[in-house]
Amino acid sequence: MNKDLNYWLDLFIKVLDKLPLTLFMMIVSLFFALVIAVIVAVIRIKHVRILSGLAALYLSFTRSTPLLVQIFLIYFGLPQLLLVFHIDINHWNRLIFVIAAFSLHTGSYLAEIMRAAYQAVGKEQLEAALSVGMSYPQAIRRIILPQAFVIALPNIGNQAIELLKDTSLAFTIGIIDIMGQVRIILGNNHGIGIFEVYVVISIVYWIICIFIELIINVMEGSVRKRRALLK
Amino acid sequence: MLLFDYSDKFIYTFVIVEKGGDHRLIELKNIRKSFDGKEILKGIDLKVDKGDVLVIVGPSGSGKTTLLRCINFLEKPDAGTVSNDGFTVDSKKASRKDILTLRRKTAMVFQHYNLFKNKTVLENVMEGLVIAKKIKKGEARKISLELLKKVGLEEKTDAYPAQLSGGQQQRVGIARALALNPSVILFDEPTSALDPEMVGEVLAIIKEIAQEGITMIIVTHEIDFARDVASSVVFMDGGTVIEKGTPDEVFNHPQHERTKKFLRRLIHEPEYTI
Repeated sequence: MNKDLNYWLDLFIKVLDKLPLTLFMMIVSLFFALVIAVIVAVIRIKHVRILSGLAALYLSFTRSTPLLVQIFLIYFGLPQLLLVFHIDINHWNRLIFVIAAFSLHTGSYLAEIMRAAYQAVGKEQLEAALSVGMSYPQAIRRIILPQAFVIALPNIGNQAIELLKDTSLAFTIGIIDIMGQVRIILGNNHGIGIFEVYVVISIVYWIICIFIELIINVMEGSVRKRRALLK
Repeated sequence: MLLFDYSDKFIYTFVIVEKGGDHRLIELKNIRKSFDGKEILKGIDLKVDKGDVLVIVGPSGSGKTTLLRCINFLEKPDAGTVSNDGFTVDSKKASRKDILTLRRKTAMVFQHYNLFKNKTVLENVMEGLVIAKKIKKGEARKISLELLKKVGLEEKTDAYPAQLSGGQQQRVGIARALALNPSVILFDEPTSALDPEMVGEVLAIIKEIAQEGITMIIVTHEIDFARDVASSVVFMDGGTVIEKGTPDEVFNHPQHERTKKFLRRLIHEPEYTI
């Protein structure tokens, strides 16, 4: 019994050892995804010429191709493409490629979420901001985004959870995150204990997701309570 | 017998100012605007003098709100020029910077208040000062608190809009407009969305600031209030100005049939007297 417990504990410790990298990929990608999302959403809302078409193309492509393909495209394809222009990025850290792929992928989903949230804020708020003399960028930054963000929070939370699970694909280009660690453990054991290892990593993903949900709920609740908005 | 007696209020302080032609502040020339092929404004000319309180009345769909929104370019006119305080913008050549400059000479009070939901009462009033006018926070705060006191909301400074009644929200809206110290304040049906018992408190404040000589353009359905506060009245219908004059001229001696018809529907004898 005691031996069993130690065995499980040992597995958890080995997997959790790589958790910081998983969280790092998730948080950094989420940050860049949000930046991309806001820019793309504004381009789409304002119908900026040329850019609007490019944004539509980007949204269509990233949402219609598998993430795994996108990771390979960026990791294997992009350096080759850039070599044509005599730019060598082959020596770059793999994390950069994978974070770029995650950011672009999640960014497209978030862009549509932000666009819907912008529309939910309503034209009146924008007009009020303009009427007190703000420029459009000022109105977006100070009035529209803070409100849109609260409306979008539950959906942003869902995307953060999706993103966390997506990071499990990073091992395909040789990044040792918690999923990569699981592959290593299995390799060393010659495939023995495959069930236990996947139970452990499932629980780890699951618990982080519960945490993300909790954080989002607390954030949303506190802002709504402070601004006295009904849920 | 009338329920209310307005006879003591027929004193028009602003008539003298209105007659002085070189106090011209706002001039609209040939303003045209269409929505989906339907012409809402059919070439409006309008002049407003400094200190004037111009009330625009007319049936729904007459274009009065659209006209008001053209003055600060919340609606961009299809044609025509807007001048405000010596700055003229031709709608056909208006750059983003022109529009911003013109807009910063105005402030607006909205029908649905449109307070910033993510800001407290005090922040709502300060926002334009700090962000658009680049006034230091301490100074902006002082100005804002003073104005909130003026509209009777000094105790609600830290509340969020959702915690206020409609009347209180609109009073914040008025304070927010006043804070900008604009050359003109545009009121877009400021009491139409209010519960009847709150209309009075808002009208009282508008009247108070009117008496301070602030130039105002007010779109309203409150004819009694218009009589009381206006220095001149414009009656619009079908996208054109039908009649313009003093409240006495327009309301008591209308020249046009359409004005008469409109007023007959609005001003009726009370059905009950006590």
